[in-house]
Amino acid sequence: MNNTAKIIIVLTLITVISGAVLAVLDGYTKPRIDAYKNKVMNEAIHEVLPQNVKVKTIKKTVKENGEELEYVFYEAKKNDQIVAYAFQVAGGGFQSELVIMVSVTPDFSEIINAKILAQVETPGLGTKIENDPSNKDNPTWFIDQFKGLKINPEITYVKNAKPSGNTEIQAITGATISSAAIVRILNTEIKKAKTVLDK
Amino acid sequence: MKEKTAIQEFVKGIWDENPVLVQLLGLCPTLAVTVSAENGLAMGLAATFVLLSSSFLVSMFRKVIPGQVRIAAYIVIIATFVTIADRFLAAFAPDISKSLGPFIPLIIVNCMILGRQEAFSSKNGIWRSLMDALGMGLGFTLTLLVLSSIREILGSGTWFGMNIMGESFSPWGVMILPPGAFFALGCLIAGANWINSRRKA
Amino acid sequence: MNLLIIFIGAALINNFVLSQFLGICPFVGVSKKVDSAFSMGMATTFVMVIAAMVTWLVYNFILVPFNLQILEYVAFILVIASLVQFVEMFIRKVSKPLYDALGIFLPLITTNCAILGLALNSVLKEYNFSETLIYGVGAGIGFTLALVIMAGIREELELVNVPKSFQGAAITMIIAGSLALAFMGFAGLI
Repeated sequence: MNNTAKIIIVLTLITVISGAVLAVLDGYTKPRIDAYKNKVMNEAIHEVLPQNVKVKTIKKTVKENGEELEYVFYEAKKNDQIVAYAFQVAGGGFQSELVIMVSVTPDFSEIINAKILAQVETPGLGTKIENDPSNKDNPTWFIDQFKGLKINPEITYVKNAKPSGNTEIQAITGATISSAAIVRILNTEIKKAKTVLDK
Repeated sequence: MKEKTAIQEFVKGIWDENPVLVQLLGLCPTLAVTVSAENGLAMGLAATFVLLSSSFLVSMFRKVIPGQVRIAAYIVIIATFVTIADRFLAAFAPDISKSLGPFIPLIIVNCMILGRQEAFSSKNGIWRSLMDALGMGLGFTLTLLVLSSIREILGSGTWFGMNIMGESFSPWGVMILPPGAFFALGCLIAGANWINSRRKA
Repeated sequence: MNLLIIFIGAALINNFVLSQFLGICPFVGVSKKVDSAFSMGMATTFVMVIAAMVTWLVYNFILVPFNLQILEYVAFILVIASLVQFVEMFIRKVSKPLYDALGIFLPLITTNCAILGLALNSVLKEYNFSETLIYGVGAGIGFTLALVIMAGIREELELVNVPKSFQGAAITMIIAGSLALAFMGFAGLI
């Protein structure tokens, strides 16, 4: 058989078979992967919202920098009254993207709870924002500081001192950048979320 | 040169031609994922799966794949199996998938895998190719296991998540950071060199 | 401003070699002389930047619109392999001495995890085109920097007695560890 023809046939065959195999793989694994992602998301939402609430999903699409972005809010109602909004925010940390699930009071003036969903910060240092083994009583002390924290005019942080005022938290020693990133992300994204929701 | 038996093809990958310590292949994942024994083991097994499957196919079709496009062909085969491994991990072991992160797809460019296709599977029968792949994969996995155990024990005080160093041990954080990876691997390679030079003496 | 942060991040703070463990094979293999290290670094940067752009286009204009993301790895590695072929032919035509100097290392750029890693990362971080471009440039410069520094140190090492077991890859790893430690100091830069 002509050599060039052989080359083309073999390469095409390999690529086609590969594509077919992968298509089957996709169909088989994608539902599981999506289901897992939804499960993680749902757990996070219910963890930051108060107990015994009815959750409704609200989606808003906004044009930003020429791109259309979708914002998703989880509205929590108790006895037909809105008690909280939960939503996901993200931003750059020291060396990885930080993803946080946060819940706020309906007027967006106070954080009810926050949970870190994803971070790949420096092991042993930046990772303390999610889990600090050196604090045996409360390894999640850092993110717990945000419970009940007031947002306006803005959240601030201090180093090596106890926070003063109800808008301040203490940064982690040796992980200032990661700590500051959390504060910065919450400050900008919560305010942004409020404007999107109000539209 | 006397032809090796199939068993010898298998054994050589574990020490004499150890892909990491002797051939210096696959260094990127070796350094990156060995922060914990569990991760090291998972990466080793995933890479072994890809190596076995690819060697099997390449050896089976070695007389059919034209020489000029063999590298492209091997790469597509390898990339396909890596995608399979990646998706399976994401679907059935999502935590491991998350911690191994981008290094699963990087198995594609793990010189060890492409190297074995070029150097062995394309020129040998299926059984011998499988033995070669198994040996290389095992050598790779064992090396990762040793390296990640050292790093996890010294760097976190645990092994496979179990606390084994006791309360009073203050972990050497540097071991689970990049510098620690380089230092540990450097010492392992030096150790292997030393053992080999004593054997030859 | 954002682009500057991406650049410095890729080149220094999250240096591809010393912090993200990408591109270690050429790092160990080509870092013996400063000249070849620099040439390798530049060639890799060149391929990296083009690869970053082409894979971005393939991902956003072919894979996503047709819901073919499952083919990401296969598509990307084929793009990279072809690119390296073209670059190799291009360099051979334009500058034969350079081609001879780089020797076997040119085709090896295909298996340089840094290039595939760069492409995959850009998709993961959902960078737009210009961000991907700058990310590629930064990563390449950082790679070249690490390579050249290592080559400079290894050239000095030639004049010193390295213990036999440590000669070669082992001492390179130890030095890389010290370099990685030093580069960690860039953390507070931005």
